[in-house]
Amino acid sequence: MTDPRHLDDLLRALDGDAGCTAGEDILDAYVDLELAGKDAAREFPGTAIHLQTCPGCQADHDGLLEAARRFGDAAPD
Amino acid sequence: MRGVRDGPNVTARPGLDAESTLWVEQLRPGHPRRDQALARLREVLLRVAIHELSRRRSQLGSVAGPEFEDLAQQAADDALLAILAKLDDFQGLSRFTTWAYKFVIFEVSGKVARHAWRRQPPSADELRLDRRPDLLAARPGDRLEQREQLEALADAIGALSERQREVFVAIALNDVPIDVLAIALGSNRNAIYKNLFDARRRLRASLAEAGHPVAREDVPAS
Repeated sequence: MTDPRHLDDLLRALDGDAGCTAGEDILDAYVDLELAGKDAAREFPGTAIHLQTCPGCQADHDGLLEAARRFGDAAPD
Repeated sequence: MRGVRDGPNVTARPGLDAESTLWVEQLRPGHPRRDQALARLREVLLRVAIHELSRRRSQLGSVAGPEFEDLAQQAADDALLAILAKLDDFQGLSRFTTWAYKFVIFEVSGKVARHAWRRQPPSADELRLDRRPDLLAARPGDRLEQREQLEALADAIGALSERQREVFVAIALNDVPIDVLAIALGSNRNAIYKNLFDARRRLRASLAEAGHPVAREDVPAS
């Protein structure tokens, strides 16, 4: 706990955090940029910051990234 | 944080890829292949739901077999309804599949949280600071300055508003999932996150005012 880095993590609230709602709108675009090897954080800086500190949005992001990677090629028959 | 919007820095919007175009065209009412497209989309949404539920299995306790399958079916069905209702909103900022899978992920996220809340709602102790968590306890090897910093932090937590305190204590100190807490408090993730953000800001400021500033790590955007 008294490790300064741990305390900094515990109290992390970064400037420019776009919040949950803004990220929900563009999470798919964010993930596809990542899968394309592009700089999603440059395109959506507020969401990149938010994903560092919101455990719920982090989990959604990780799930969508994995789903898009594994099942993204699905097409209509 | 309040009022911040996030959007692409560049205005160019990529055109729809061929597969996304096919999905959107065939899902529109009146298309001759709509029924087949709906069945195919339902099939892949179910696959994504099963995968995502498996990924979050640690929050599902003993859910397995038909109950697990039922959760996946519900998530796929609810996601399909949402996708069809918002089909005209799809702007092509991502592949259609990534956009569609987002709805399944959100459905699974919400259903898992509701299940976890029913199975194990946060206890009153997890929302209160009556008993100082181990995380805030000084250790024998801590220097005087570190012990004083912990004391100042505990005092600052006690001075938060009631909502900020219960959110910070539950999420930051007791690892209660944010969506489970949101359900328990009759709120939503965005509002709870705002409470957490404000609490962290206030605690950091209080520590600085008390002469125990927290070193700020330089965190690059990932």
